[in-house]
Amino acid sequence: MKKYLSLTIVSIMLLFLIVGCAKDASEEKTFGFFISHQTNAFTSELTAAVTGKAEELGVKVTVYDAEKDPAKQISQIENAVNQGIAGILIEPVSVDGLVPALAAAKEAGVPVVVVNQRISDESAADSFVGVEHYTSGFMEMTAAAGDLGGEGNVAFLLGPLGSDGQIGRTTAYYDVLKDYPDINVVFEQTANWVTEEALAVTENWLQTGTEIDAIVANNDGMAMGALKAVEDAQMLDKILIYGVDATPDALAAVKDGRLKVTISQNTTTQGQVGLETLVKLANGEEVESEILVDFVLIDINNVDEYLP
Amino acid sequence: MKTSAKKKTLKWNSLRELGILLAFIVVLVTLMILSPTAFAKPANLLNIVKQASINGILATGMMFVIISGGIDLSVGSIVALSGVIAASFAHPGEYPLIVPIVLSALAGLAAGVLNGVGVAYGNIPSFIVTLGSMTIIRGLALIYSKGQPIFGVTDEFEALASGFAFGSIPILVIYFLIITAISAFVLTKTVYGRRVYAVGGNEITAKVSGVSVKRIKIAVYSISGLLAGVAGLLLASRIVSGQPTSGQSYELDAIAAVIIGGVSMSGGSGKWYGTVIGALMIAVIGNGLDILNVSSHFQLLIKGSIIIVAVLLDVKGKRNQ
Amino acid sequence: MSEFLLEMRNIDKSFFQVKILDDINFDLLPGEVHALVGENGAGKSSLMKILMGIYSRDAGTILLDGEEVNFHTPREALSAGIAMIPQELNPILDMQVAEYLFIGREITHTNMGPVSIVDHKAQIEQAKNLFEDTGVDINPRHLMRNLSVAQIQLIEIIKAISLDSKVIIMDEPTSAITFKEVDTLFEQIRKLKTKGVGIIYISHKMEEISEIADRITVLRDGKWIGTDTAQNLSKEKIIKMMVGREIKEVYPKVKVELGDVALEVRDLLLKDKFQKISFSLRNGEVLGIAGLVGAGRSELVETIFGISKPEFGEVLVHGKPIKIQHPMVAIRNKIALITEDRSATGLNLKTTVEHNISFVQLSKLARFGFINNKLERKKVEQMVGKLRIKAFSLKSMVNSLSGGNQQKVVLAKWLLSEPEIIIMDEPTRGIDVGAKRDIYLLIGELAKAGKAVLMISSEIPELIGLCDRIITMAGGRLTGEIPRDRFSQEEIMHYASKFEVRE
Repeated sequence: MKKYLSLTIVSIMLLFLIVGCAKDASEEKTFGFFISHQTNAFTSELTAAVTGKAEELGVKVTVYDAEKDPAKQISQIENAVNQGIAGILIEPVSVDGLVPALAAAKEAGVPVVVVNQRISDESAADSFVGVEHYTSGFMEMTAAAGDLGGEGNVAFLLGPLGSDGQIGRTTAYYDVLKDYPDINVVFEQTANWVTEEALAVTENWLQTGTEIDAIVANNDGMAMGALKAVEDAQMLDKILIYGVDATPDALAAVKDGRLKVTISQNTTTQGQVGLETLVKLANGEEVESEILVDFVLIDINNVDEYLP
Repeated sequence: MKTSAKKKTLKWNSLRELGILLAFIVVLVTLMILSPTAFAKPANLLNIVKQASINGILATGMMFVIISGGIDLSVGSIVALSGVIAASFAHPGEYPLIVPIVLSALAGLAAGVLNGVGVAYGNIPSFIVTLGSMTIIRGLALIYSKGQPIFGVTDEFEALASGFAFGSIPILVIYFLIITAISAFVLTKTVYGRRVYAVGGNEITAKVSGVSVKRIKIAVYSISGLLAGVAGLLLASRIVSGQPTSGQSYELDAIAAVIIGGVSMSGGSGKWYGTVIGALMIAVIGNGLDILNVSSHFQLLIKGSIIIVAVLLDVKGKRNQ
Repeated sequence: MSEFLLEMRNIDKSFFQVKILDDINFDLLPGEVHALVGENGAGKSSLMKILMGIYSRDAGTILLDGEEVNFHTPREALSAGIAMIPQELNPILDMQVAEYLFIGREITHTNMGPVSIVDHKAQIEQAKNLFEDTGVDINPRHLMRNLSVAQIQLIEIIKAISLDSKVIIMDEPTSAITFKEVDTLFEQIRKLKTKGVGIIYISHKMEEISEIADRITVLRDGKWIGTDTAQNLSKEKIIKMMVGREIKEVYPKVKVELGDVALEVRDLLLKDKFQKISFSLRNGEVLGIAGLVGAGRSELVETIFGISKPEFGEVLVHGKPIKIQHPMVAIRNKIALITEDRSATGLNLKTTVEHNISFVQLSKLARFGFINNKLERKKVEQMVGKLRIKAFSLKSMVNSLSGGNQQKVVLAKWLLSEPEIIIMDEPTRGIDVGAKRDIYLLIGELAKAGKAVLMISSEIPELIGLCDRIITMAGGRLTGEIPRDRFSQEEIMHYASKFEVRE
């Protein structure tokens, strides 16, 4: 009984597979958008930008979600190449892990454009469209240092140690501080991009009684956790908070004057330019190997332009 | 020979319980010496209990499940699901505050009931049932929230977990105390509590003695689910948003608290106050090392070592019985 | 060189200042069966654990073949030629018989250390040879899972023989096998004797000891009481030495007027276990069920109690048919079942004496689900006193008690629920003489109080001594019913092995 059931299921699955392949082969030029995961505001916005642009250009794009698993993303790429994908636009899960799969795709004549997150070997892709994390960190810290008037105590909330965003932005913080010898870093702790972790860490910092004049976070999620802790301690008048990403709640907080600064990495532009570049490549046009999209610093003065 | 074996058991049992308390005191005193001004402040001690509260509430539910001989890996995902549900019904001017409270608790309860039915009637090991439901519920949280955090909740909703009672005691601590008190009472003073221990101690004996093992099992997973739902509600209130990715690996912290507290992984034994100490221990370590500005990576190292030492004590204690 | 195969001289051992072995002497001749007897806690197991190197001794010497030995682990003892067949057999159930036989010393194709390839064919051949030599009929390709307890025991004995053991310790080897299988075991023991192997035989069963033992040593409370030849020691004398007092009648049978039918079973059937069983049991009656292991006796009572669901037939309590789907229903109808394996199905070893005893009756000791601790304590204390349970305190873990006291805890737990029909499955297995007697007395008291008692036992003298009537089962069928005036060992054995004649 069980045997027959599983046999039936397997045959049905096979059937779908065959039909699916046949269908894919009959249509022309499908591009693949490979995204690391779809669980936050940034990735949702990026996906929406790519699919929106596809409609505008009149091309077909299939979205593949790797759910943060490099192995899954590799097999998704391999399968897509085997099925004759016209081009690959990828926001990679891993800096190193995807290089062989992308190199193989390029070898097979499939154009590859990497968006937002760089890969370690740039020759594996035809073009990179994105931002430098370093730049956003530099902009964020420069704003904070200016607001502090060049002196005071700061605390850093970092992303997962070793991640690209954390390294780029944190390196920039310290580079900026080279010009501000009177600014001291009193605390530095990772909260893994997570709001509730940042909340607990900031609560613990505030318990020490050490004077903190500004909290600079690697992303908005953590900045919002810090904001909550500072507000609960009724110290918002003493401590300035900075973030990156321009998430909707961060924008709202900037509007209310609770969050000092957030930085938009122009996610929509990244997605749009990424797909455009890929389509150009597929049509045999030449493109730049690196296309950088500008960041925008958002504070109380320009926040209205970005609020939904 | 009989008497000597008995003495030995008694000694070990009290040593084990004392050992956990002793380790806790050692950690506390060490941190107080290292940071006399910041750590040892009453305000910070209350802060620690507050930070232990959400994990403590999850651990309380987990304790029921582990004493009954099972495990519940889905609580972290339930936290996320009930959190996004709560936040989505907490926008200003839409529903009264009771709606998100009840709905998030119900979501947790429903998930727990399904876990329990799967374990009791499907005859599938709890590890597998809840491993599956962990993934399913995380998926539901992402689908429900469309993968996006849900912001813009009312001030009353935020006040649920952020307020203070009796002056300076964080309201979260009060919730934790109430839930612990009820659980302690249920476990030690009621027929139901005794049966939870019995099912974990020897399922067949419990059945032969006239206990509906299935009903007990469904109930423990329901308790765990309900408390995870409450924890999710409180977390959403604490971070003023419902985040579908929140609660990641919370199940592991809850299990760790229960094990550090001396509850045997094989079920049938364990004390409620052990779980309280376990949850406090984890929070104390996190808080103390944050205050001393120690990198999170070392915090993980220390937390892991304490779990292993606790389990070693557990295993050794059993071997000596 | 000494004539003794093994000598243990002046052995002392203490735990926490409590002397558990005090100046013990024990020796063993080649080709001899030397029985070691004593109540539980007398020190038999501790003495053997010292011999096997599991415990260290505080004083004394051990000589093997006249040379002093000092084992630190059972492995050392094993390689020196001392093997122990434990009471609780713990085989690896998913292994083939041949694999199990050669575990740890596998026959390999080539010798390449841990990566050598096992030669299954050679192992099976070797196993076959061993089985032929010993006259055992077991397929070496079968899984251990499919063997009976007696067969597993034989495998352990053959394993010991194949290791060239000079001394084999058998700890309660007959506690889980039936009298027919005991014969096979004794046959093997006699064969071992002719090969010059010495056997240390630990048992509570006097009949067996007088049949198989050459000499007997009695221990009591960690002290050596005496050693003599089996001919010189009568059953009564041994018991007197063991308990330190005389026990006049072993089976205190009380005369009771029988009442109405309390329990009636009609055509009860569970496929592959037992076929259409019918019998009835009256108030004040003690009904025994005799049979071999695998006759379906335990399965029958478990079905009556609702642990398994019958496929056909009905159970009537006081003339009223009831649908027993769960033990809950049986308990509500005032039935109690003292199961066969107390640690697996009778007790919760992870909790205290008190919590075990009150467990069945818990909801009656509570109001609105809240336990009345005072009432619980009072009821439990009454039971502990009534059954003379020896425990350090009510809060002691039940696994710190001796086997006999653990069994009494199971009885206490069921008697607290004030049952009218009491089913006991092997109530005296593996417990000492004193506890056995207490349980016999209790059965008499229950019958006198008009309760109906149904009792399974593999010890026929026990059934003969206690029952008003005995029914026999063989191969899942009811094969006979014997009234008290026709009770005899032969008659019961005849019916209990009837299926072999028919098939």
